Amino acid sequence: MFLAWNEIKYSKVRYLLIIGVLFLISYLVFFLTGLAYGLAQENRTAIDSWDADGIILPEEANGNFNMSLFSAEELDNIQADEKAILGQTPAVIEKDQEDSGEDRLDVRFLGIDTEQFLTPDVVEGRLVESNGEVVADISLKEENGLNLNDSITLVGGEQAFEIVGFMEDAKLSVAPVLYTTIEAFQEVRFGEPVSDDSELAISAIVVRSETDELDQVTIDNDQLELISIGDFINDLPGYNAQLLTFVFMISFLIVIAAIVIGIFIYVLTMQKINIFGVMKAQGISSGYISKSVIAQTFLLSLIGVLVGLLATLGTALLLPAAVPFRSNELFLIVVSMLMIGIAILGALFSVRTIVKIDPLKAIS
Amino acid sequence: MKAIEFINVDRAFKDGDKTVKALQPTNFSIDRGQFVAIIGPSGSGKSTFLTIAGGLQAPSHGEVKINGQRFSTESEKKRAQIRLSEIGFILQASNLVPFLTIKQQLQLVDRVDKGNVNREEIVTLLEQLDIEDLQNKYPSGISGGQRQRAAIARALYNDPTIILADEPTASLDTDKAYQVVEILAQETKKKNKATIMVTHDTRLIKYCDQVFEMKDGVLQEAQLTATT
Ligand SMILES: Nc1ncnc2c1ncn2[C@@H]1O[C@H](COP(=O)(O)OP(=O)(O)OP(=O)(O)O)[C@@H](O)[C@H]1O
Ligand SMILES: [Mg+2]
Repeated sequence: MFLAWNEIKYSKVRYLLIIGVLFLISYLVFFLTGLAYGLAQENRTAIDSWDADGIILPEEANGNFNMSLFSAEELDNIQADEKAILGQTPAVIEKDQEDSGEDRLDVRFLGIDTEQFLTPDVVEGRLVESNGEVVADISLKEENGLNLNDSITLVGGEQAFEIVGFMEDAKLSVAPVLYTTIEAFQEVRFGEPVSDDSELAISAIVVRSETDELDQVTIDNDQLELISIGDFINDLPGYNAQLLTFVFMISFLIVIAAIVIGIFIYVLTMQKINIFGVMKAQGISSGYISKSVIAQTFLLSLIGVLVGLLATLGTALLLPAAVPFRSNELFLIVVSMLMIGIAILGALFSVRTIVKIDPLKAIS
Repeated sequence: MKAIEFINVDRAFKDGDKTVKALQPTNFSIDRGQFVAIIGPSGSGKSTFLTIAGGLQAPSHGEVKINGQRFSTESEKKRAQIRLSEIGFILQASNLVPFLTIKQQLQLVDRVDKGNVNREEIVTLLEQLDIEDLQNKYPSGISGGQRQRAAIARALYNDPTIILADEPTASLDTDKAYQVVEILAQETKKKNKATIMVTHDTRLIKYCDQVFEMKDGVLQEAQLTATT
């Protein structure tokens, strides 16, 4: 540390520039990771918030609940620790205001039985109590300026709904979710209410199991199949392709950042070969010099990554709500450690050079 | 016990297809308390001799011992260790670390060799070398002569048993040159060190106990035709 720190103090400008580069690279990686993660999450947060273990769909739907419709009475054929019916349909809504027509919104209606476990955690307002009410994702308020007690109309239909509550993290396939009753869902889906409860159609049955194992769940109907929530999410239309794109993008970014940082550290070491040679002539071991180079790299990358982290978090505060940025402690920690680890790997690469330095050359 | 002992040491360099014998087979030894000078024309092999003595390069044949112990046949790591604690190098070009102040150069030695540093003696040494006011300066901020003296302070800092000096007075004026050699002579006698100094300035050899002359790689004791 002695050598490392004193050298940084001596060549302030040079090391500030290096820290600057490390900062920019880590800022880029953090930011893109946050954006990618945020967008990926918008496919699934509604499902995640159910905290469910499995979902039951007709076999013919092929895991896609946009294509699925079956009778709500099937609920009786299913044994699980907890089970809930779910109706799901995409829809377009518009604000019931004088300026309407402008903001039409793509949303997802989820019809639920409020007695069952899919009931959303409302952060503002209250739960739905009657068929004309919805609990909406908070983004409708933050991005679209809708408020409690505002009413919305279904485009191409007659139905109007009043927003009675907002909840957080309710996005499905990148659209905000509106929770409503299962009866209201029928109206949205088919344009008219059902006259009898036996005609209720649903898209899926969601189950929870106390052990998180699905083998406790039994279905007395071989037309229906049980899919784990994880598999179901991966099969959401477009989700997997998106995720793979992001994973590859971020991985390549990190690999390229690694190479850039590695080259940086290496060039830095090469520039000091003479100085190290003189030290070696004095009897200072390669080990001590190598340790100090590694310590210096650690210091530089730590500062760079920390500043990058702060800048990312700072930027996140300033971003408009519509930007799907989302940070996750685990991601931030993993990416930080990866960046620092990679920089140190670059330094380790330079250690070979240090060991090979011939002190004789340095002093003649 | 000899401080340094050369046993049939020679050194040849390959230069294309022909080999250059920089050092002919040499037997040489120096006791502690002795101050030896080596003179000779440029390219005769003086630096080669000195760097072999300091373990910076290995002999082609033969063996070098330091304080009676194996040295030239040791691993590089072990040699670096011995060099750090036993040998003070003063080189032709001043060998200071550019990003450390004079004080930090000395502290660096403290950090890697928690050996025999005597702080009070160091103050005296810095005063003698007339650089005690430069402790917080970087090498680039002081004159060549001051750098050279700082390098001497650094070499003597952890009280090595052997001092190897290659043209230590090259960038000093006559007065300072005398002063520096006097300090080296003093240190040698007072602390019972073995010192080898390469110089082309024959006026300085009056401080030395013995003078050798290097000619085409052959080391021979020189006739002391005093030039006092
Ligand atoms: N690394 C090397 N490779 C090839 N030849 C070398 C090498 N080092 C030294 N020599 C040769 O060995 C001979 C002795 O060189 P050395 O540096 O020991 O001379 P010197 O007496 O110190 O000269 P000077 O007074 O100019 O410093 C020279 O002919 C030189 O060219
Ligand atoms: Mg020389």
